[in-house]
Amino acid sequence: MYTFSIYLRLLRAQLRSQFQYRASFWLDVFTTAVFSGVYFLSFALLLERFGQIDGWRLGEIAFLAGMTELTFALMDLIFSGFDPDFFAPNVQMGRLDQIFLRPVSITVQLLGSRLVLRRLGRALEGLVILLFGIFASGMHWTLAKVLYLPILMVSQIFCMGALFIAGSTITFWTVQRVEAVNIVTYGGVEMMSYPMSIYPAWIRRFFTYVLPFIFMNYYPALFFLDKPDPLNMPAFAPFLAPFVAAILFWLALRFWRFGLNHYQSTGS
Amino acid sequence: MMTEPIIRVANLAKLFKVPIREKRGLAAVRSFFYRRFRTVRAVDDVSFSLEPGELVGYLGPNGAGKSTTIKMLTGLLVPTSGQLTVAGFTPWKQRSAYVANLGAVFGQRVTLWWDLPVIDSYELIRAMYRIPADRYNQNLKTFRDLLELDEFIQSPVRSLSLGQRMRAELCAALLHDPRLVFLDEPTIGLDVVAKERIRQFIQHIHRQRGATIILTTHDLADVERLCSRVIILDVGRILYDGELSRLVQRFEGAHELRISAAEDGPALVLPGLPPPRRDGRFLIYSFDPRQTPVAALLQQLNSHVTVADLEVHRPPLEDTIRRIYEQRLLLDDGSHPDSPAGVEKR
Repeated sequence: MYTFSIYLRLLRAQLRSQFQYRASFWLDVFTTAVFSGVYFLSFALLLERFGQIDGWRLGEIAFLAGMTELTFALMDLIFSGFDPDFFAPNVQMGRLDQIFLRPVSITVQLLGSRLVLRRLGRALEGLVILLFGIFASGMHWTLAKVLYLPILMVSQIFCMGALFIAGSTITFWTVQRVEAVNIVTYGGVEMMSYPMSIYPAWIRRFFTYVLPFIFMNYYPALFFLDKPDPLNMPAFAPFLAPFVAAILFWLALRFWRFGLNHYQSTGS
Repeated sequence: MMTEPIIRVANLAKLFKVPIREKRGLAAVRSFFYRRFRTVRAVDDVSFSLEPGELVGYLGPNGAGKSTTIKMLTGLLVPTSGQLTVAGFTPWKQRSAYVANLGAVFGQRVTLWWDLPVIDSYELIRAMYRIPADRYNQNLKTFRDLLELDEFIQSPVRSLSLGQRMRAELCAALLHDPRLVFLDEPTIGLDVVAKERIRQFIQHIHRQRGATIILTTHDLADVERLCSRVIILDVGRILYDGELSRLVQRFEGAHELRISAAEDGPALVLPGLPPPRRDGRFLIYSFDPRQTPVAALLQQLNSHVTVADLEVHRPPLEDTIRRIYEQRLLLDDGSHPDSPAGVEKR
């Protein structure tokens, strides 16, 4: 409870810091929203020409892509402090030492050390695309879907957060941020924006057995959109998302702890 | 009176593995795939202990192992070997409980929230350290007066001058009444007035609150002003641990006596001293006060010339300390009875 109240206080401090730059904040939100909107629009126009990809119509892909965009933006907001691009220079400048010297959980302090509000622009854009997808695909709502949607979104946020944490932890060894980490995080998220069935088998296998992202987005989308499974996975595959997310997040935290211990024994 | 030392360090060592950088050619390419390491002993067999309430200057040239020691004392680094107990804790274990006892100011780092008013950072610190309200208010009031924080306490940290920021940081580090305070270059880059204000504040914290303070600094004026005990480190080993005055007594270089005679004459050579240098109308005699007291010198001079004016110059502490580094002068003087380095030196 105490730790959580500290977390909220730190977040509030971040909010107040950001509102020092109000004009630039709104401009940022606006630009981000427009830029990512334009990106999706160009994709949508392209898809118009072809009608569908691998049996997925525009509305259905919008559902998939909008959800990924929204949860990634929210994750990026919540886990800003663990963004490897931010974390690595932070360690180099010795800011982690200061965090070590405060009597509050290191993880909580990091989560409260940065809140990039302009990510809201991207979240907004994701939400618009998601809503468009829901309507355009003519999705049929059931009670199960209503209940599962928020669970799925939270799972996706934690799953992607695990990637951020793991990516930051790696920089304890490499000192500099590693481009390969970004390929996995941003590339993985990009992959999740499209139906996994369109990728070659080896990529699909990677995202099934190594980084099981296929359970985070593709299978749940099949469930929400009532689409048949061309890959013949068990019927519970769409509902594995929370478990996969929990395991990945737990592993990431273990790795993070290990990284902190390494940091303590080698210094930066 | 025997008290339990607040810091006890015995045979502390920290070794780092540093990759060997190959400069050119094939070796550089190979090192990309297979790195060779060499071991650097950043801290090597360091032992000392501190009583509660001591204010110690921790000195040494760059790379001597000062900050490695401080990192081990604060729990940021785990030692390679040796014993380390601080305030009853093993610093790198029970991190959260341990660091609540510490206050730290690193002269070149900002710990306050950059875009927020100073007072907001203090409120956050109050929450993080769970400082009781009355204690917090009392401390804040005292520090506001002593450090003259009122002129900028409502301003965002990013708008403060270096001196103001240092004062703000000092307050932040001490709001929770830490038992142990680490000050790393607290006066770096400040002007004379700002330095003085910070020294006064450190002295206050030491005397009024009985905090144990470890001060690392390159400004030896800080040390002369504040510390009675100094620990001097070089290449990971303790060169000296003891009273500053004894250090000066033993290792101070030659003093200079500058006189101007009332009437011109040939430079007078005194027995036992090198011939004087001439600087305008001054004659400069270099002497060792341990062998030739000033009074004796003056007596000799007076019997030959009429001294119109005189000055005695002591070498600055910088020179004395530099001499110790350069010549690796003593290893131990054993003047500090509680120092394991002095007592148990094998």
